Amino acid sequence: MNVIYGLIPGMILLGLVSVLVFFWAVKNGQYDDMEGPAHRILDDDDMDESDRDSDSSL
Amino acid sequence: MEPPPGKPADLDQYALQEVQQEFVRELPDGSKQAHLMVEGIHCAACVWLIEKALSGMDGVSRAEVNLVHHRLLLEWRAEQVALPDILKRLAALGYAAVPFNLESVEGKLKQRNRQLLFRMGFAGFGAMNIMWISIALYAGAFSGISSEYRHFFHWVSWAIATPVLLYSGGPIISAALRGLRQGRLGMDLPVAIGALATYSYSLWQTSQGGAHVYFDTVVTFLFVILVGRYLEALARSNASSATLRLLELQPRMATRVTADGEERVAVRKLIAGDRLRVRSGDKVPADGIVLSGDSHTDESMLTGEFRLVHKRVGDRLAGGTVNVEGSLIMQVEQAGSGTVLARIIHLVESAQGSKARVQRLADRIVPWFVAVTLLLSACTFLYWWMHSDFDIALLSATAVLIITCPCALGLATPMAIAVSTGFAARNGVLVRNGEALEGLSGITHVVMDKTGTLTEGRMQVVDIIAADSDRLLKLAGAVERHYSHPLAVAVCASVESAGLCFIDSHDQQLLPGLGVGGRVGDEQGDCEVWVGNEKLMQSVGIEVAAGTREACARIESQMGSAVLVAADGVLLGLLHIEDKLRTGAVDLIASLGRQGIAMTLLTGDSPAAAHYLQQQLPTSVGAPMHVMAGVLPAEKAREVVALQKRGEHVLMVGDGINDAPALAQADISIAMGGGTDVSMECSDIVLMGSDLQKIPWALSLGRRTLRTVRQNLMLSLIYNIILVPAAMAAWVTPVFAALAMPLSSLLVIGNAILIRRHMQGVK
Repeated sequence: MNVIYGLIPGMILLGLVSVLVFFWAVKNGQYDDMEGPAHRILDDDDMDESDRDSDSSL
Repeated sequence: MEPPPGKPADLDQYALQEVQQEFVRELPDGSKQAHLMVEGIHCAACVWLIEKALSGMDGVSRAEVNLVHHRLLLEWRAEQVALPDILKRLAALGYAAVPFNLESVEGKLKQRNRQLLFRMGFAGFGAMNIMWISIALYAGAFSGISSEYRHFFHWVSWAIATPVLLYSGGPIISAALRGLRQGRLGMDLPVAIGALATYSYSLWQTSQGGAHVYFDTVVTFLFVILVGRYLEALARSNASSATLRLLELQPRMATRVTADGEERVAVRKLIAGDRLRVRSGDKVPADGIVLSGDSHTDESMLTGEFRLVHKRVGDRLAGGTVNVEGSLIMQVEQAGSGTVLARIIHLVESAQGSKARVQRLADRIVPWFVAVTLLLSACTFLYWWMHSDFDIALLSATAVLIITCPCALGLATPMAIAVSTGFAARNGVLVRNGEALEGLSGITHVVMDKTGTLTEGRMQVVDIIAADSDRLLKLAGAVERHYSHPLAVAVCASVESAGLCFIDSHDQQLLPGLGVGGRVGDEQGDCEVWVGNEKLMQSVGIEVAAGTREACARIESQMGSAVLVAADGVLLGLLHIEDKLRTGAVDLIASLGRQGIAMTLLTGDSPAAAHYLQQQLPTSVGAPMHVMAGVLPAEKAREVVALQKRGEHVLMVGDGINDAPALAQADISIAMGGGTDVSMECSDIVLMGSDLQKIPWALSLGRRTLRTVRQNLMLSLIYNIILVPAAMAAWVTPVFAALAMPLSSLLVIGNAILIRRHMQGVK
């Protein structure tokens, strides 16, 4: 059972890493826009000029 | 051909170095970066369109749109593309953008929310990890655990709880201390005492090798409290939406006339004595007098009156009003804080300062609740200390503190308000001040502004009296599209809505106060067109029949404007233009009347116009309704005060700067979305659209919210009434208290979410 003395600090360390990741994400603006990126996947990247012009009149 | 263009000239001001330095940042690689607020974004397609269009421009290295906050992050190379060109491309797509300064009030608010998110996240991390330890400890309590491991687990809990208490709980503790020094019993006090007492007791137990360690309680309870606070902060920041400050942020420019010619300068650099040129369509930048020129100005933003005011040499001009006709040269008398506009803003501020805010129900209960809790806890401690030992005394006193956990009480109001404001925002009602929602249910009197609130707030063609109305519209539009007079704008809008195309005209001329003329070539050949009032027709020698004259008189008596159109010396007919009642105005009056709410209509117009308005509205609505005409801005606020003195709870609905003092004075205020920024700035609630039915809807949402808040407070009180005596009798261990506590919080949260379901049936 002595393994517990290593495992628990390890668990807390892992938890701390996840907190740091969370802080980084907040600072990096990952939580600023919770809606836009979900739609971004639907954007069509490979459009040529003529399509773009006809769409921009929408 | 396209309708009359806007004013792209305004965007050129962003090329000026002194304007740019306020919001543009230079990046290490030499390119420039700016945050912009974009007006007109409403869906994901807008994001796509803007990002595609801008990143396709040469020199733009980055264009990212934030859909929720309507912000655009722009990076560009100044040597390849100029900022005004990027903004013009954006304008061509139909979006207006203004700089967003992160240092502004709003930027600071966002930063504070981010701090709160950090604290909440950290407490959440602590709660999740400490839970594992607790599970091991609880399991150990049932099936046996060696004291060595138990001791180790206690110290691990301590190691997690300490940073959470210091980092996440720090601001709460310092706020409690601050409140204590100022002699206030705030919500923070029992939270701080509960957390600190439980923490200290647990630490003492841990160091003694005892079994009663409740670090998990401290952490979970801080986490739940912070979730409540974060929700509250989120609701608040959603309300102060970006678009509301658009105009305020706009750096305004003026054209100064000097000995060497004309130059563009920032408005705040103007001093008394400067000579300015105010072109047709421009806003008057400061207060002053006309030195030369002859024109009409639109002062509706100050007076609420849509009729234009004639300005000649020597007349006074007020800053913020719009010059609609000819070009004027003016001399500045007052700039900055001395202007009429600044004085109105001052009026607003003083009204806000003097008004007794709607006090939150919870805020009134909290000090008592806190005092009683502390007293009971102290009594429990003393009783058990005298009759039993210190351990039981501290344990039961702590249990009392924890079990009367203000969580449910603390969440009762913010949770209900967060749900309601979020729900309202999705329905086009922006609640800027959440407390206003609770106050809405107590409203006994609604004061409404006429122009822009009950009416559309812009001139519209409501009737065309002519044999060939299409031809009349086409000819009138051809001439009018060169002018920005409200009547001209109404004619052009009507041409567009009739589906007609614009034809061109030449040799246009403007006769101030009379109308406009020009030569138009249509299918029937080149003809001379005159568009204007009766006097214009007389002055150019066109005969007006008696029947037409009568029609004109009738329209004028109803506060409309009659615009006559003639081609080649023959009168074609007339356009009836007026500021129409909004659809829903009649229903609004009727539905408020059904709810037994008294109404007062205020208008800056003449009594005749007010009388005409009254004829259009339902007469017997079941509640008293007054119409007051010829009311000045300061009088509107005074009228509200008079009602308040009679004990009425006043809801003010308005849209203009002239309504601002009254909006600030009223108990609760609602601003129309299309109104001025100042009116929105001092209102509690802003309607995003122009749907007046949202007003009774907001009233019922307010009632629902107050009911939910009351239910929530009842729930938490019942919970306390049952469990506090048990805790005082030392029947309840702090562990059980810690288990019961989140349960009461969940009940409150669940009840708040029910608001949405209750409101579903309400239109």
